[in-house]
Amino acid sequence: MTKSKISTQIPMLLCLILVVAGPFAFDTYMVNTLIKAFFFAVAAITVDLLWGYTGYLTFGQSAFFGAGAYCAGLVFTHLGFSSEYALLAGVLSVVIPGLLALFVGWLSFYHGAAPFFSCVISLVVPIVVYQLVLSGGNFTGSSSGLTGFETFDFEIESWYWIAGAIMLVAAIATDIFVKSDAGKILVAIRDNEQRCEYLGLNTYVIKTLLLGVCGALAGFAGFSYGAFSGVVAPELTGFSFGTEMIIWVALSGRGTLWGPVIGTVLITVISSYLSNSIPFVWQLILGIGFVSVIVFLPKGLLPYVIRPLSRKSSLDAPIKLEEAKIQDSSVSGHAIVMDHVTKSYGSLDVLKNITLTGDPGDLIGIIGPNGAGKTTLMRCMGDGEHRTGGSVEICGRDLGKKHPEEVVRLGLGRKFQNANIFQTLSVSECLRIARTIRERPSLVRTSKVLALPAYVLDVMKVTGIDKKLGTAAKDLSHGEQQALELSMVLALEPKVVLLDEPTAGLTLSERRSIGAIFSALAHKYRFCCLLVEHDLEFVKEIATKIVVLYHGTILMQGDVDEVVNSKLVQDIYTGTKSSARNSEAEK
Amino acid sequence: MGLVLDFATTTAILFIVTSGLMMIFGVMQIVNFAHGAILAIGGYVAFVITRVGIPSLYGCFFAFIAGFLVGALIERFVVRPLYRRPLDAILATWGLGIVIIQVIVMIFGRGVQLVESPLQGTWNILGTEYSSYRIIMIPVALCIGGVIIALLNGTRFGIKTRAVIMNENLAESLGINSGMIRFISFSIGAGLGTMAGFFITPLSSVDPYMGVAWLTNAFMLVMVSGHSFLALAGACLVFGSIQVLVSIYVNPVLGGMAISVLAAATLRIRPKGFSHD
Amino acid sequence: MKAARIFIAVAAAAVSASSFAGDTIKIGVPVGLSGVHSVLAPSEIQSAKLAATEINAKGGILGKKIEVVVADDGSGAVGAQKAFDSLIFDKKVDAIISSETSAARNAALPIVSRGKIPYIYATYYEGHSCNKWMYMNGWVPEQLSSAMVGYLNKTYKARKFFLIGSDYVFGRGVLKFTRDFIEKAGFEVVGDEYLPLDASDWTPIISKVRDAKPDAIISCTSAGVPNVTLGKQLKSSGLKLPYGNLALDESTAKSMGADADGVVIAGTYMTSLDTPENKKFLAAMKEQFKDKYQTPNEHSVPIYDGFYSYKAACEKAGTTDPKAVVKALGEVEITGPRGVIKMDPHNRHADLNMYLAQVQPDGSVKVVDSVMGLKPGDQCQF
Repeated sequence: MTKSKISTQIPMLLCLILVVAGPFAFDTYMVNTLIKAFFFAVAAITVDLLWGYTGYLTFGQSAFFGAGAYCAGLVFTHLGFSSEYALLAGVLSVVIPGLLALFVGWLSFYHGAAPFFSCVISLVVPIVVYQLVLSGGNFTGSSSGLTGFETFDFEIESWYWIAGAIMLVAAIATDIFVKSDAGKILVAIRDNEQRCEYLGLNTYVIKTLLLGVCGALAGFAGFSYGAFSGVVAPELTGFSFGTEMIIWVALSGRGTLWGPVIGTVLITVISSYLSNSIPFVWQLILGIGFVSVIVFLPKGLLPYVIRPLSRKSSLDAPIKLEEAKIQDSSVSGHAIVMDHVTKSYGSLDVLKNITLTGDPGDLIGIIGPNGAGKTTLMRCMGDGEHRTGGSVEICGRDLGKKHPEEVVRLGLGRKFQNANIFQTLSVSECLRIARTIRERPSLVRTSKVLALPAYVLDVMKVTGIDKKLGTAAKDLSHGEQQALELSMVLALEPKVVLLDEPTAGLTLSERRSIGAIFSALAHKYRFCCLLVEHDLEFVKEIATKIVVLYHGTILMQGDVDEVVNSKLVQDIYTGTKSSARNSEAEK
Repeated sequence: MGLVLDFATTTAILFIVTSGLMMIFGVMQIVNFAHGAILAIGGYVAFVITRVGIPSLYGCFFAFIAGFLVGALIERFVVRPLYRRPLDAILATWGLGIVIIQVIVMIFGRGVQLVESPLQGTWNILGTEYSSYRIIMIPVALCIGGVIIALLNGTRFGIKTRAVIMNENLAESLGINSGMIRFISFSIGAGLGTMAGFFITPLSSVDPYMGVAWLTNAFMLVMVSGHSFLALAGACLVFGSIQVLVSIYVNPVLGGMAISVLAAATLRIRPKGFSHD
Repeated sequence: MKAARIFIAVAAAAVSASSFAGDTIKIGVPVGLSGVHSVLAPSEIQSAKLAATEINAKGGILGKKIEVVVADDGSGAVGAQKAFDSLIFDKKVDAIISSETSAARNAALPIVSRGKIPYIYATYYEGHSCNKWMYMNGWVPEQLSSAMVGYLNKTYKARKFFLIGSDYVFGRGVLKFTRDFIEKAGFEVVGDEYLPLDASDWTPIISKVRDAKPDAIISCTSAGVPNVTLGKQLKSSGLKLPYGNLALDESTAKSMGADADGVVIAGTYMTSLDTPENKKFLAAMKEQFKDKYQTPNEHSVPIYDGFYSYKAACEKAGTTDPKAVVKALGEVEITGPRGVIKMDPHNRHADLNMYLAQVQPDGSVKVVDSVMGLKPGDQCQF
């Protein structure tokens, strides 16, 4: 058995036994407590999906849980209880919180939204919902909430199995999803949102949709809770309840799914026994535990409980590499055209009137001293919103104000200066995410085959990462990480490849082999590569064209020999700044 | 006139309550969610001091010192390991808030404590009788604001602090001990928080949860203001006045959430908020 | 200090809870250890414990000792559900006697119905809450509002009233009744405003009071924090209006001191009541709790009475069988610190003596008027 399987199967089995055997083993009080705990666990799953997996810290899931509960309370109180009204309330409890969550998603996630901002919005949502409930007068019951409405007349055992089934279905479905190829995208967003955007993934749409689904699920859990308990109170929508969910998830292990499920159930049960007799001490213990876990064990407790149980073993069944069919790759005309591109911050011009063209098969070296604007130039190609003047065309199409994920779809791939990868994902998972825009990943399955273009397979073979498909990206050597990022960028099947100092920190032999790869990419596969480099010797060997950037302007561009032998370049690279400035003046 | 005084005093009180949070957020980009609990500590300092019989004028210094010490402990043991994880810092400080509140409960009990207001009665301002204590909050806010601005602009510590705010790496390379600056700013921020708790007690009751009600509004005001104290004063004035207007003319409940909603909307439209850079 | 006291109480309850169940009668007392009612919890627990000590000293009920099981209801609906679930299904108590928020009571009633045990709701509330397992021995607005409005009109010639409340069942219920009563009496309500339970800034409402220029203010906030903040802010606003507070108790008034000076309060119990039962009760309280003694109040004394009503009912029924006890509760009569308490078997509420009192500058309370044997009006029909 493999490690990942053990760590899921034990908790899953525990939950299954608990759900099946509960009513035979426990007294009414315990059963009662567990039913509520199961509904809370569903809400905790949504927090874990959003925070543990996707990295979006949310205090707001209580708002959706509470909204769902109020759907039950309001319908049953004001319209009455019948099977039709129950169905209506059930549907409303999914639709209303779902729509509310989509709206919150729209508010929270947009291009360039800081994670902090999203977190702030998630804080405001429960406060607003809470206040709305309070100001609802007799309609919502204000501070007292709604009580005494008629609801489903099930025996307590039936409620127990219904609640348990809801929790198990939610947990297993989520488990399948997070392990699927598509589910890995959530982790990718958490690890490195920028890289996701430059792989063509629209992260804010993904997060908004995810929040919508999580809102709907939490709403349904709230509905069930309200229908079971017969009490719908404002505190169910409030910010404190939202933070309580975070405490459950954090203590038991964010990003482990079964951790929060078990953790929520355990904490709810313990607190139902302790909070009656020692409410303050219990709160204090929870608080201290929470702070210590956040500071010392950010992964929560579950991984430490599970670890001794799982044998060390290799990863799941090996992934098979395959060659992918490449779509028609011919580009007519220029691959990239920059026309009088300018970038300024206020009165400070970082780039001035940059005009250059690149064709398929070109390998353009962009050189210049620190602060010349090389990285800014790359950013102006990759992100339509970055430049302040001029125009850029990629494969004949205008860049306009397009965001990176749209620019990628025009045929541009950008490799960053530091290896910009998904730290916790394996090599094959990183590559599969890079293929998302070419091949829609499954929401339920983990594919055993990974199809990549021939040149990506080449790069992997030359650098040896094809032997390390199962290794987590963070465990690769620096050179291998660079190779992985390059492979990911190329897996997009781009026409224009931006390479920002790809050889930084590599050994001499690594550098040589990567140089050969670049040459092959340009000459054999007809990419248009733009290569930012400090190392003039390296550029000299492989480039077909060189652009010299200095203080935000193009000092010179032309053939390799022409540029390398010019006095100007010699001055910049060997002389002082003043001499360069003089020559600029002369020019 | 009553309305103008409502505006001015609400602004002043909001500024007093938020300044400590701002000090911390401005320098470290970390939101201290224990601020609510720290306000409560200030309230209990006021309570203890009036019991012991120290004139309440000196009380605010005791409050500041108590907060400074608590802040120093929090910074050293909880916040420092989390500089690289600002979202976790939010959570840890929130958890810490729970702990502080429970400790208060264990020492002083759950109940409401009462503190005599040092200034009873009303003053007549241009024909309107108005609570004198609320009016006193205006010069108090101006003093706090003045001292902070003088501290940041007129002292070596201030210059170093601003250097850390602008560019921490550069500041470090210039030999500024940014860890020390953070440590001191956090402690001062916590001290300002307890002082604020001390000042608001005569307006409300002293109970362990007294600060929590202020927390989100304070938090949102600070978010909107970026890292400028002048922007914070502006935000307090604008949002505080809107809160008063909505509370009086629409509904006190909506007034209560006016600050949060408007601040969130402002951030969505102008992510940088009120600060101009 | 206070917390330590609760701990001792709770720890004692927890220890005794573990003793063998058959020999004892367990009485559940859910209180708001946390939340808005936490101010009152210590006095409520003391009342319950005093009653239990006294009853046990005289041989218990039907030869069995009684034990008090305290649970925290968090002063709200969700907490009350937990507390009642725990008391009825886990601790398996024989009866529940509690003085809680209306939200807590409403949330708990379905659980009481399922648990099928006697429940004495021992405090004032907004009225018209009925359950076949429940009896009430506190005041309802029919009894209180008439006394308060009548007094303010008689003493201060007040005809225009401004009503302020906490926005929850109790606040709204009482003030709605008060409003109807004022209008029926031919007076005027110039405004009524509500703030959520957890709000502490009354500035906007005080501004409205100033604009509306009433003759008197009547407030009905939740006991505890809102009472204190409203009182303080009214005081410091400079408004010098007659102020009747329907939810202020003596001990809170005492701790507010000058901030409550002049406030008119009303209730069925004042510590200064000059009856032998009250004197004996106060002496026993001080004797048992010594320096930890909490001022008895409108929430705690009815709990004390409730224990004696339950004892009387069990003895009349000759059993602790829930059905029989519920029937007997409507037939027995006891005399406690508040006077004679007899709950009606059909209406489920009690006729009560109402006392009006004014807070003095030092926070002490002086009885200024009283109305005997006020009827609760039609509440329930069983």
